[in-house]
Amino acid sequence: MVAVKLIPQLISWFGIVLVLLRGFPGLRSVVTTTSISGFAIGVSGAFFMFRSLPAAIPFGAVKSALGVSFLLLWGISVAAIYRSTGRRVTISSGARLVNTSIGAGTGAVLAGIITGLVCACRISGTDGNFPKLLFLVLIAGILTVIALAVEKRLPASLTVSPSGMLTAVVALLLFCSSSSLRLDLFSPLSMKVMKGVHDFVHQFMESVLIPDHLFVRSVVWGYIGLLFGKEVGFWGGMIIWFTPAILIALAINFQRLPSVAHIRQGARRRKLLADAIRNKRMLLITPLFSLAIFAAAAYQSSFPSVEYWDPKPEPVTASPSGEIFIPKKGEINLEDGKLHKYLFKQEGKEARFFVLLSPAGQLTVDLDACAICKPDGYGQAEGSVICYYCKTLIPLDTVGKPGGCNPVPIQFTEKADGVAIDGMTLLNAWSSTVRATARVKEGGK
Amino acid sequence: MATTIIETGGLTRSYGDICALKPLDLQVPEGEWLSVMGHSGSGKSTLMNLVGGLDRPSAGSLMVGGEDLLALSEDGLARFRREFVGIIFQQHHLVPYLTAVENVMLAQYFHSVPDEAEARSALERVGLGHRLKNRPGELSGGEQQRVCIARAIINSPKLLLGDEPTGNLDHKSTVMIMELLKELRAEERFTVVMVTHNQEVAAWGDRTIYLDDGVLVREERTNS
Ligand SMILES: Nc1ncnc2c1ncn2[C@@H]1O[C@H](COP(=O)(O)OP(=O)(O)OP(=O)(O)O)[C@@H](O)[C@H]1O
Ligand SMILES: [Mg+2]
Repeated sequence: MVAVKLIPQLISWFGIVLVLLRGFPGLRSVVTTTSISGFAIGVSGAFFMFRSLPAAIPFGAVKSALGVSFLLLWGISVAAIYRSTGRRVTISSGARLVNTSIGAGTGAVLAGIITGLVCACRISGTDGNFPKLLFLVLIAGILTVIALAVEKRLPASLTVSPSGMLTAVVALLLFCSSSSLRLDLFSPLSMKVMKGVHDFVHQFMESVLIPDHLFVRSVVWGYIGLLFGKEVGFWGGMIIWFTPAILIALAINFQRLPSVAHIRQGARRRKLLADAIRNKRMLLITPLFSLAIFAAAAYQSSFPSVEYWDPKPEPVTASPSGEIFIPKKGEINLEDGKLHKYLFKQEGKEARFFVLLSPAGQLTVDLDACAICKPDGYGQAEGSVICYYCKTLIPLDTVGKPGGCNPVPIQFTEKADGVAIDGMTLLNAWSSTVRATARVKEGGK
Repeated sequence: MATTIIETGGLTRSYGDICALKPLDLQVPEGEWLSVMGHSGSGKSTLMNLVGGLDRPSAGSLMVGGEDLLALSEDGLARFRREFVGIIFQQHHLVPYLTAVENVMLAQYFHSVPDEAEARSALERVGLGHRLKNRPGELSGGEQQRVCIARAIINSPKLLLGDEPTGNLDHKSTVMIMELLKELRAEERFTVVMVTHNQEVAAWGDRTIYLDDGVLVREERTNS
């Protein structure tokens, strides 16, 4: 079960070990041991973070680690392209470190930790427990052994440069995290780009260009309008997403071939040249393949493979006094941290609502609708609920607070054995919310 | 004493019932020019193909240039042929729609990367500087065979194999080809193994072996 949920993550793990083994030739045992220990550290670290901290903190920490790795790739790619233009940059000390056991060990342990964290996040957000995590480490260990065997069988000529190795590892890390809504980097990146462009265009218009809108022809506005489209964020995000891998591939491609003119024997000269050309082509395979992984990560991010917890609304009725009572313990456990949906019908009116225990341990009762969207309802993802209409993620710890796309909170009384809600209050809240959002939709623009 | 470049032990090749080469023990020291004679069907081409890595023996051992050809994989054998051996056949096997220089460049391409300047100078070395852009059909038999020599030596082989390279040529052309080979050998120091029916051609070598029905029956030193 765990393994099925983690298929993209485990594939990434396999790929990372494979690339590290190739990228650090002759350091197989170092890479193997450090990467799997890193994985175990990451998994257990996440486990303890989730136990002792609110869910938002471990997710935030892992996301930052991913962001840093992506920034590192950007830095290295710019340095690589700069170097390939022939300018001397002294990163020789760093380059020398790459092929020592210290360099390999550090790289492998970091990659292992981040992958372990991501894997653990993927299950810890909802239902992580220690045996499950142990099982996860075991599977990762098995995959490491398989990767060792596969790596031996790959053609010897398929070499990986340090920058190519970094590209592939970062691509795989982003791939394995992008299926998780709260770890994904691509969506927030394109969002930021969109916001940045909007703000810039807005400022620009206000301050310099346009004294009065009437003087600007509509054609110009057409072009300006393009900058406000949703595509701007997407394409801008794509550029930032793919550029490092492209730069590293270009840097390898621009690398000068060794000078062979001094070799007198033609066959030997040509042989050296051919070997250099072949080697260069082989080095290009990893960054080009990484581009495909980046694409897969971006794709996953737009279509996150999260299975939402979305129970069928349970019909409930009110007592003669008009009170709806939902017991804490019964067929279901109200306090299991999952979304519990209910449908209340009375005299031709109806209302959909849910009860949820927040991570802070507080029960909350809310409409299955928010104040601004069509009432499509909510599903529960890792550490958050998602509004099906606008796809906004609402962190679990803010559910129960009003505003924005948060579910509309409902007054209720918590009793020792359950929660009590006034039926009329519920029906009124539902109908006024639905009416308000319907007006927004029609009369809005 | 020079090192041994070819060493066979009990080398055998049979095609079904036909045993084209009976167990053969042969040593060729590096730099020697060995002539192989024998009547038709005696196994001369079979021996050449084995030594050149074009064919695999049925039994026995075969070391060429320090490599155990029986132990080499198909890829290894292909690399061995590319880098170690140059072959000239009686039929020239030139690509008819490529020019002389392109035919030589093709051999460079299969070896590593083409280099036109080098291909030209190789053709100049075999006296074809004025026929670079001609296709094989526009060249005489002797000239075609010289293109083959240029092609065979372009990748600096350690071993040059000739299977009746002068079989189709008249006396004068034969002498020119043999002289050319002798010159080239002096410069490049490759080992030559040459199959021939012609006693005169055999005499250009240092030693001649005679095959009969797949058996080495006689060998003699030539006094050149
Ligand atoms: N591919 C083959 N399949 C079957 N028999 C073969 C094959 N190649 C050669 N033979 C047989 O092996 C024997 C030796 O052939 P080989 O070509 O070595 O002779 P040769 O000495 O080169 O003759 P020639 O002087 O006519 O070229 C012949 O009897 C021939 O029929
Ligand atoms: Mg023959």
